[in-house]
Amino acid sequence: MLAGCGARTDPDAQLSFAPEQSDRLVVYTSHKEEVWRPVVQEFEARTGIWVDVVTGGSNELLARIAQESDAPAADVMFGGGVDSLEVYRDYFTPYVSGEQENILEIYQSPEGIWTPFSVLPVVLIYNTKLLADGQITCWQDLLQPGLRGKIAFADPGVSGSSFTALVTLLQAVGGETDDTLQQFAYNLGGLELDSSGEVLTAVANGSCWVGITLEETALKRQQAGDSIALIYPEDGTSLVPDGSALVKGAPHPENARKFLDFTASSDVQQLLADLYRRSVRTDVAPSPDLPGLDTLALVDYDISWASQNHDGVLMSWAFYLDRRETP
Amino acid sequence: MKRFLFSSFRNRLFAAFLAASLIPLFICSALLLQIFRLQMTSQAQQEASDSLAELAQILDQVYLDFTRIAAAVSLDDTLIQAVVQGTRENSEVYNRFLEVTQSFRDNACFDLYDRRGGWLYSTRNLPHDDPLSTRWGVLYAAEQQREVVFSPPEDSASSGPCLLGAAPLLDGSGEIAGFLLIRLEQSDLNDLLGGAVGTSNNLLLLSAYWRPVYCSQSGLSVSLANTLRQRLLSGQPLNSRSEAFTYTVSHHPSTGLYMVLGQPQMFTRDTMGLLYTVSASCALACLAISILMSLTLSRQMFHPIQRLHKAIEAVSHNNLDVYVPSEHNDELGQLAARFNEMLIALKHNQEQLVENQKELNEAQIRMLQAQLNPHFLCNTLDTMKWISKINKVPQVAVMSTNLADILRFCVSPDEFVPLRQELEILNRYVEIQRIRLSGTFTFRPLVPLELEACLVPKMMLQPIVENAILHGLDGVENGVAEIRAWARDGVLTIRVTDNGRGFPPELEGPYARRDRELSRGHLGLYNVDTILQKYYGQGFGLFLENCPDGAGAAVTATLPLRYEEEEPVPC
Repeated sequence: MLAGCGARTDPDAQLSFAPEQSDRLVVYTSHKEEVWRPVVQEFEARTGIWVDVVTGGSNELLARIAQESDAPAADVMFGGGVDSLEVYRDYFTPYVSGEQENILEIYQSPEGIWTPFSVLPVVLIYNTKLLADGQITCWQDLLQPGLRGKIAFADPGVSGSSFTALVTLLQAVGGETDDTLQQFAYNLGGLELDSSGEVLTAVANGSCWVGITLEETALKRQQAGDSIALIYPEDGTSLVPDGSALVKGAPHPENARKFLDFTASSDVQQLLADLYRRSVRTDVAPSPDLPGLDTLALVDYDISWASQNHDGVLMSWAFYLDRRETP
Repeated sequence: MKRFLFSSFRNRLFAAFLAASLIPLFICSALLLQIFRLQMTSQAQQEASDSLAELAQILDQVYLDFTRIAAAVSLDDTLIQAVVQGTRENSEVYNRFLEVTQSFRDNACFDLYDRRGGWLYSTRNLPHDDPLSTRWGVLYAAEQQREVVFSPPEDSASSGPCLLGAAPLLDGSGEIAGFLLIRLEQSDLNDLLGGAVGTSNNLLLLSAYWRPVYCSQSGLSVSLANTLRQRLLSGQPLNSRSEAFTYTVSHHPSTGLYMVLGQPQMFTRDTMGLLYTVSASCALACLAISILMSLTLSRQMFHPIQRLHKAIEAVSHNNLDVYVPSEHNDELGQLAARFNEMLIALKHNQEQLVENQKELNEAQIRMLQAQLNPHFLCNTLDTMKWISKINKVPQVAVMSTNLADILRFCVSPDEFVPLRQELEILNRYVEIQRIRLSGTFTFRPLVPLELEACLVPKMMLQPIVENAILHGLDGVENGVAEIRAWARDGVLTIRVTDNGRGFPPELEGPYARRDRELSRGHLGLYNVDTILQKYYGQGFGLFLENCPDGAGAAVTATLPLRYEEEEPVPC
């Protein structure tokens, strides 16, 4: 009746506004909206591809991809540390982005399982009202008995960045992995936060003195006015990037590849500075406010070791965390 | 059983009433609801398309105005120079800029950017002087497409949705010299579009990829846009019954925007609830009326029937003193009236029967009284006969002999006797009368021999003949009394004639209609007639007439023809 006017109320006609399958892309993302929305919206405007975004925690979404592996709904996993992506490597199709040559070599995926997005150094934060400058300088300091129960640390089983931080700590402190895990677990005093976001809140409101988080998150909160300070640990931090990966059996693989290329393109990478992130590209200069990567002490973070021992480390961790006695 | 049938018929009646009232009601409700729904829906659709057409016109106007202003800026030497050279804070340029954008400044703000996205001028009071990347967003799109583009803002979460448009400014050589940006905030769009949306409706402007741009109910836009986009992508219909709004979508080609007009659902749960309540109330009313009607009607119908039934039961127990009142003159009332008439007739018949029996009994009693001590009388008469013979008084002997025979005949136990015997006794009687009346009349019994064996009630002829001799022949010279008899069609007729004075005319005709009063002086005839009627029925009895050939009367008795061997059957 009203077809002539172009106005559609009847369901069939309304569905004609929906894009063709060839113009669709399903993205699972663990990024916050402020990160994914500009990227996705610009991608839509440039390619004409409609992006359906599903948000969630990185481990949750990766588990979902594994669960859906028979009939994948997702095309791209956008976000999550590459060590987490490595854990689920069986569910991804390798793809070497066309932007590979512009990406810093240390962030390139050896087999193209993932395409890096941004560099996220692990940092320590402390509440500037509760701790004096220089009291905490390195991972080793977190094992001091005086900090027991005052360390904000998210559950590494839930938060990918927390797991990266835990492995970084193990590398930085050195010695037997189990001993270190045990000591650190003891020093948490049973306090383990449910998500990485709570780390910042706990430190900012003073319920914890020190926290372990990513540079990007810390900078953002600092910018927002929280009384926290960042420490790049002297015994080394890790530069594990977060990235994106092409889901194996993706319904729209061609569009997914375009999206992976786009996330690594210089236009997107230039945007990262506004988001307190560091680009993985050679041709995008980092924000001048941030310490250069070459000034940071780094641990030798072995991504493949981390992903292979992911479950083992988490099991030991859970075991030691529940034991409340002195190591 | 009666009770069960009664109540079950009432139930049937009730069910019929219920069906007759409820089915049309339900059909009517459903049809009305459907018609109402169609009407409302088409009206709403019409309204939506009108509204959307008007909105499309407004957006067209925005697009045209913006294109026109961009063209004006491009053609303005002062402005294009300023853009190319990147000069800022020049009051002449500001003047020109404000002048060019004059017509549309109330509804939007404009910004001028140079070739690299550096901010130059703004119509805003407190402009952002940050540069815009030409490698990103709206400027990138404008540069790539070299035409006017519209886009949603990137960071809708923090700054709220708005509509951004960018037009590339071309210099004389056709190169891009800079950009003109238009920014329509929520309040601007409210002013522009609000009038066409309608107060109760909700307008949502979506980008080409269904990202939120504007919502007339601010605050809703992001969540609503996401919901609708999700439905579109997953192939679900945008409208669902449970929601408060129905959405109509229209695409606006020049800006690439989608307009989604939300109209309040006509048939919300409340409305439907109300409609259902009304229908249910009507149904309840119908139910109540049905019950009432069926009760009333069945009462009107079953009460008379029940009364009739009770009356019939009473009659079957031999109680005839019942009366069925009828309130209405309808079929049932007529039935009751007929029943009453029937009862009256029945009662009358029964009374008649009782009366007959009483009369018969009286006759029998009289007969028994007549038999009192007759043997003593007979013996006395025999004694008298002998005494008179001894004393040579022959008349007394004859009279007493005859009288004794008559008396003996009378007291015999038989009720019916052969006509022969009856005639014999008659002869005895006539002999007595002849002595009494000194022989002034002739008696001629002329009965055929074959009829003498017929059975007749005892002493039936004597009163008739006595009537003829005593009344008919009284004072007549050479009086003659004759008896004739004949049989035809099983009926025996006995006729006694005389040549006397005849009957007074009022006595002529069948005797049956007389009552006892009228028969005073003719009690014998009355008795005979009564006996004949009681024995044989209404069709028999006496018939009185005067002889057609002059003087004399005739009394005719009719009775069924029976012979000795037959048992007489009293009626």
